[in-house]
Amino acid sequence: MNIPLEYILVLSSSLFIVGAAGVILKKNAIMVLMSIELMLNAANVNMVAFSSYYGDARGQVFALFSIGIAAAEVAVGLAILLNLNKLKKTVNVDDINLLRW
Amino acid sequence: MDILEYAWLIPVIPLLAFVIVGFLGNRMKDKGGLVAILGVGGGMVLALWTAFEILTTGRVYEVSMDWVVLSSEYRLEIGVFLDNVAAMMLIVVSFIAFLVVVYSTAYIHDQGPRRHRYYTEICLFVGVMLGLVLANNFIQMFIFWELVGLCSYLLIGFWFERPAAARAAKKAFLVTRVGDVMFMIGLFLLFTELKTLNFQLVWSALDTADAATLAFAGFFLFGGAIGKSAQFPLHDWLPDAMEGPTTVSALIHAATMVNAGVYLVARAFPILTQSAEVSLFVGVIGGITAFIAATMALCAPKIKGVLAYSTVSQLGYMILALGAGAYMWHFGHYVEASIAFGAGLFHLMNHAFFKGLLFLGAGSVIHYVHTEDLNKMGGLGKYMKVTSITMLIASISIAGIPPLSGFWSKDEVLAVTFQAGDANLTFMLLWILGVLTAFMTAFYMFRMWFMVFKGKENEGTKHATEHAHHKHEAPVAMLLPLVVLAALAFGSGFSLFIGDGFFGSIYYHEAHVLSIGERLTDVFTSPLTYVSIIAAVSGIVLAYFSFLKTTVSAEKFVSKGFPKAMHKLLLDRYKFPVAYDKIGYVGLYGFSLLLDKFDRYVIDGIVNAISAFLIGAGGVVRKAQTGFVQSYTTLLLAGVSLIIILLYVVGVLR
Repeated sequence: MNIPLEYILVLSSSLFIVGAAGVILKKNAIMVLMSIELMLNAANVNMVAFSSYYGDARGQVFALFSIGIAAAEVAVGLAILLNLNKLKKTVNVDDINLLRW
Repeated sequence: MDILEYAWLIPVIPLLAFVIVGFLGNRMKDKGGLVAILGVGGGMVLALWTAFEILTTGRVYEVSMDWVVLSSEYRLEIGVFLDNVAAMMLIVVSFIAFLVVVYSTAYIHDQGPRRHRYYTEICLFVGVMLGLVLANNFIQMFIFWELVGLCSYLLIGFWFERPAAARAAKKAFLVTRVGDVMFMIGLFLLFTELKTLNFQLVWSALDTADAATLAFAGFFLFGGAIGKSAQFPLHDWLPDAMEGPTTVSALIHAATMVNAGVYLVARAFPILTQSAEVSLFVGVIGGITAFIAATMALCAPKIKGVLAYSTVSQLGYMILALGAGAYMWHFGHYVEASIAFGAGLFHLMNHAFFKGLLFLGAGSVIHYVHTEDLNKMGGLGKYMKVTSITMLIASISIAGIPPLSGFWSKDEVLAVTFQAGDANLTFMLLWILGVLTAFMTAFYMFRMWFMVFKGKENEGTKHATEHAHHKHEAPVAMLLPLVVLAALAFGSGFSLFIGDGFFGSIYYHEAHVLSIGERLTDVFTSPLTYVSIIAAVSGIVLAYFSFLKTTVSAEKFVSKGFPKAMHKLLLDRYKFPVAYDKIGYVGLYGFSLLLDKFDRYVIDGIVNAISAFLIGAGGVVRKAQTGFVQSYTTLLLAGVSLIIILLYVVGVLR
């Protein structure tokens, strides 16, 4: 039995919106990073869903690829946060506005 | 061997000497004097040979090549053009220049290392003047014309540490520049109208060209001559130019600079003939110049001042003759016009000889007494025999006493002016001015001569004769040119009677050949001749009685009333220097100040306003860069959403 495509799209959209809301609203930088992961995974879900819908394996390959990249990106992001924490003694994004006018 | 094929070497030889003297002169013992003599002399030999070939065969020689090809229609040439007028100029320029250089070696022997600069500049001066004469088109002429101006600037300012000399050099350069700009405008008009500047092509294309444009072109070309030949109202630089060494004055006044303007008028003569108004204007300017310069010469306090005004006045005669000729040609009196053309150039030649002599003689006098003030001289005749006799010959010649050269040409100039009076009454007035000028010329020349060589010995003379090293009047190198020029000042008028006569060789379109007998009857049966002779003689007699016998006291005459005011005005040179300064300072400097204000407040204002606006706007806009990652993200998402919605609305995503 196949789950209809629309259901999965609703799921991934919700996931994406939750992620976007987290990126915009969360004050903790770690939470922001996690929200970005949510958005990425929403995209992955979409790719897998369309892959199965069209019967084309390339979407799943791309999803795996995307997961790999996301892992690397998180490593970089966490490293930045660690350094920030060392420098500014905070991970609150409202206190980090170094690149301003 | 055809000598004309080597004519291009004429200016090249002095220019070569210029390079050699310029680079090596300071190592030579005489600072390059010998090289200068050889260079100018070599140019002279070649020039005389070329002129002889041209004048005896009547050939017209031209060789040219493309220099700048602007387009297939507009091209500029560089080349050599030789006809009878150029040949005559070659003789005058090269010969007098050579004599002046020989004279200079003695005259400036005490100038030390500075002679190096003198010889360098004089070689360049002679070279570019010969180049000007040989030019086959107006633009080449203009280039040499500018170089002549540069050299005169350098030489007038030879003693640049004297403020007066520096000022005079600057004035000569700037005032002639006014004329040069007009010359340029004339060139542009001519070039756009006729698409060529080659002399012969211009002359042959005149009939098909637009008359109004040609009239303006002629007017502006003549403007160049006004500047260079020191015609009214741009004449005032020339008396100031006396600040240079006397030899330079001789060169400028007799051989080079000022003749360039007359030569230009001769070259532009066919253009001038196209318009009655312009040729009348030329004649009027010439007549006025001759008259007012002569009046200023009447009471000039310095020996070179008298000669300077005299030059301006005689140049006025030449221009007057050419103007009258152009006017008569316009109304179809071709024979008279071509005689008038010849008369102007005849006077140019004779004037070059006697004025060169007068300046070199004045140099000899100044060399002896070390002053230029006429009132400090007097009684020099018995100490300076050669100088006084040669200068007397020149004075008689310029005064116009037959049979000396000045008589023949001045008489011819006045005769053609009188003839032009038939066509237009203005020329009759100019003729009267001309006769008055002839009277004044005789008067001021003999005033000068009497004040220098006769009468009471004043302090300058006494001072000079007390010194033992002044036993001799001048070295041979100075006296020899004087004697040679005296022979020419006496006899150059007789060129009327050699071969076809002057008017049979130097003419415009039609030779005017008369036998000796015909010429003599032509001259001496005309009442006009006697009018000019009477004018000259009465001038001399008046000078004799007021400056030698002192039965008529000049001082008493100018001590009160109108003569006094007039005397003052003449000494102030009709306030022309003041007027120049006013125009220069108030007019041009004021205008410059206005432009400065415009630049400062309008142009800079606009620039500053734009930058101030950008800085202010930047200050406002940069507040958007808060540095908060989340606000960027919000904007990013909002933006992308907006784009998607828009794409959906316009239908791309549907």
